[in-house]
Amino acid sequence: MSMQAALPVAMIPGNSIIHRINPIAKLVWVVGYVVLAFSTQNIVVLYSMALFALLLAPIAGITKPLLKGALILVPVGSSLLALQIIAPAVERPWTPVGEIGPLTLYGDGIYYGFVLLGRIVASLLLALVMVMTTHPSDLFTSLSKLKVPYTLNFMLAMTLQLIPVFQREVGIIMSAQKSRGMKGKGFSAVLPSFVPVFVGAIERVQQLSISLESRGFGSNGIKTSYRQVRGRPSDWVIGIVGALALGGLSAYSIWRGTWNISSDIVFSPLFVVVTFVISATLFFGVVLFAVFLSLKK
Amino acid sequence: MPEPIIAFDAVTYTYAGTDEPALHEISFEIQPGEYVAILGLNGAGKTTLGLCVNGVIPTMLGGELEGTVTVGGLDVSEYPVREMSKLVGVVFDNPEFQMSQMSVAEEVALGLENAGVPYEEMKRIIPDTLELVGLAGFEERSPLGLSGGQQQRLAIAAVLAMKPQILIMDEPTSNLDPIGKQEVFDMAARLNSERGMTVIVIEHEVEVMARYADRVIVLDGGRVIMNGTPQEIFSRVEELAALKLRVPEAAELATILRTEYGDWDGPVPITTEPAVAAVNDLLGATRD
Repeated sequence: MSMQAALPVAMIPGNSIIHRINPIAKLVWVVGYVVLAFSTQNIVVLYSMALFALLLAPIAGITKPLLKGALILVPVGSSLLALQIIAPAVERPWTPVGEIGPLTLYGDGIYYGFVLLGRIVASLLLALVMVMTTHPSDLFTSLSKLKVPYTLNFMLAMTLQLIPVFQREVGIIMSAQKSRGMKGKGFSAVLPSFVPVFVGAIERVQQLSISLESRGFGSNGIKTSYRQVRGRPSDWVIGIVGALALGGLSAYSIWRGTWNISSDIVFSPLFVVVTFVISATLFFGVVLFAVFLSLKK
Repeated sequence: MPEPIIAFDAVTYTYAGTDEPALHEISFEIQPGEYVAILGLNGAGKTTLGLCVNGVIPTMLGGELEGTVTVGGLDVSEYPVREMSKLVGVVFDNPEFQMSQMSVAEEVALGLENAGVPYEEMKRIIPDTLELVGLAGFEERSPLGLSGGQQQRLAIAAVLAMKPQILIMDEPTSNLDPIGKQEVFDMAARLNSERGMTVIVIEHEVEVMARYADRVIVLDGGRVIMNGTPQEIFSRVEELAALKLRVPEAAELATILRTEYGDWDGPVPITTEPAVAAVNDLLGATRD
């Protein structure tokens, strides 16, 4: 079983410019993105950030997996927008723009809805680009250079390793239970397999710890690293430019008091109604699809 | 007689939280370069014995240890396992449980990294070690994507990279198919004969042990009840059967033939070739 098959989001091997950027430079950008996304309410900035992240995908050759990973945004984004239209997170009074059945739609929250969505979209897309173009070991090696404790690093790496292993173990245990006549549908089938999986996990961890200790894991001398991560001048430039640009924009946003431009943008009632219908349909579509999938099993 | 590399002196060990000792008054010595097989039923104390050699018992698992275990002149209860790891490499039965890294090369590198071996040296050691276990060119593969036999050889490579003097393999082939078993045993035999490595194998595969081991130690109920060459041990077919232990089929056959044809003497063959020769002699004798 390969990592790629087991994890929905994993590194896509490649040798593009994006792949070759130093993990720390990428990390600077991801952190910068998150900081800027949460310090500004300017939707132009937010969606430009998302667009920029999206443009990196074809360069890295990860367009398809990126869009697949970004599918998670559909239920999140659609519920966010639909809720902001029927129950704006701004102070009353709200201006009704239309009614659908028992629901009254308001235009006041839609700007904020787009801000929230933009924050998630921008941060997630860039984070996905980073995860998909960085070998986890390179990332952990870089982190240890930044003096992140070895044990903590190892724990992070180990978790990534164990996910596919446990997925497979749950599969084996569920098959065993089904073959003994246990009903196998949805969550109620997964639950009884937890105990054997956890017991197995404890046994595995104990043996692993003995095996690791037998290879000098706990040694407190100087440790070296097999993976060599280079920091070329271009990586420094990318990191510094990212820190300055994103940090600068964040500072400007905060100075402008979140840089909210909602007063400059007027959403027509029709736009609000259409947005609501689309996002509500998407959201219930996803919910129905999930229900359908769980019943089909 | 050179200084023994491993010496157990009246070792009694009780796991934490249990009353019954897992090892009773165990004493034996192992010389450098010996290939020793440890036989015994499940629960006879074989694994416990193995863990005593690299100090996991008592330093990691606690419990109560009486007597002394001396390895390479060091009393194991006085050194942390990480120190002993420079001397003793241990491989366990489930290779997958021993994998922790994203690639084969990093798995082998782990022990070297912990020992602070410089990058340039690692770059030389890792391909050499992988070559030795027949995994050359596997550097960038994921350990989880290997077959059972390959994973076990990787687990062995991971300890061999640290250049221990002693290799302990605890049922290294119980999860492997016949080809995988053969690969592992061939390699252990090579390490023993070509590099003079002391090898301790805890196994149920008596045929293989009869072929490779210099010495067999039989454990039962935490006590050493037999300790001798494979020829001596596997000749005692009835005694081993009483312990519910298997003997090599060649020895079993020879014993049955001996009972049938009473007066046949000479050593009991324990591997296939001498057994064939013995049966041939016997057939020649009856033909006359």
